[in-house]
Amino acid sequence: MSAAPETREGTAPIGRRVRLFLRHNSLGLFFVTAFLLALSGQAVAGHAEFNNQLVADGLEPIGFGAYLTTSDFGVDVMENWQSEYLQFFLYIFGTVYLLQRGSPESKELGRAGIESDQDQMVGEHAADDSPRWAAATGWRTAVYSRSLGLVMGTIFLLSFLAQSVTGVAAYNEQQLRQLQAPVSWSAYLSSADFWSRTLQNWQSELLAVASMAVLAIYLRQRGSPESKPVGASHSATGVEG
Amino acid sequence: MSGRTASVAALAVLVTVSSCGTPSERRGRVTEDVTRFERALDAGQPAQLCAALAPSTREELEQAAKTRCERAIGEQGLPRAGAVRSVDVYGGQARVVLEHDTVFLARFTDGWKVTAAGCRPRPQQPYQCEIKSG
Repeated sequence: MSAAPETREGTAPIGRRVRLFLRHNSLGLFFVTAFLLALSGQAVAGHAEFNNQLVADGLEPIGFGAYLTTSDFGVDVMENWQSEYLQFFLYIFGTVYLLQRGSPESKELGRAGIESDQDQMVGEHAADDSPRWAAATGWRTAVYSRSLGLVMGTIFLLSFLAQSVTGVAAYNEQQLRQLQAPVSWSAYLSSADFWSRTLQNWQSELLAVASMAVLAIYLRQRGSPESKPVGASHSATGVEG
Repeated sequence: MSGRTASVAALAVLVTVSSCGTPSERRGRVTEDVTRFERALDAGQPAQLCAALAPSTREELEQAAKTRCERAIGEQGLPRAGAVRSVDVYGGQARVVLEHDTVFLARFTDGWKVTAAGCRPRPQQPYQCEIKSG
């Protein structure tokens, strides 16, 4: 957000300030709202499916609140979260070193790597409005220079762990319902159920990233920063619209 | 971001613990209900045994035996099970391994009910049970 709109937001009447806030943050607000709606829809549909199965097995259906605390709902949410955060973690770190000729998702050819302090505006090259840890030296700069990938990677690991914990509980509940023995957490980590859930998510995320990186070489979306300008050549690399 | 991380951890804890007490409390309730079932079996109390069965298990037993549960359950040859060796509870399902029997249960509004009893393990297959739902 540039300095000028912030100044206008700060001095404008409250109604206008709210409208400006919504407009200036519409990307994040739209996706957070859509996420909550989709998660709610998943919970409603998942609850209905879970109860259908319980009734079919001669068991008692459960309430919506109880369903939200089941491992069945938990594993369905976690398996998607971990794959999304893995996707962004790989993309953030991968695009430091990997290039794609003609793609706006890639840096310019020849700029692979972590780049110079001058290019990255760190240490003595930091500007007046740079984040404090970018201007600092030592471990703070090292951590802050990788903070986006580190946080994405940490969330991936935590949600992957949560998937394994909720997954073994959901799997064992199903095993017991079918009069079969439960398995341990470590045995579940090498089970077909765990890797089927995991890989079906990973393959779709990796396909989406590969599609974006390659299709954006030849296709355009006017006005989107994810695309090159409509008139940019197919060979132009690292150019965003 | 720390909020998101906390949400992931909180969801994992919520899902693991579940809304119906801690794991040890749930295992305790399951053990109580199985013990009551086994005492009724030892004492030859068919009414109490049938009351402890899940509705679908009771229905299956009556259909297979073509008689009332209270008559049919005495003819099933359920073993004297002995002491509880281990209890597994996952969500609304439980397995109790006893010295001479394995019993499966499911959670209902009025407590844990037996879905299968007189069960013997089979390699790579579901337990073989004397009584179970259809």
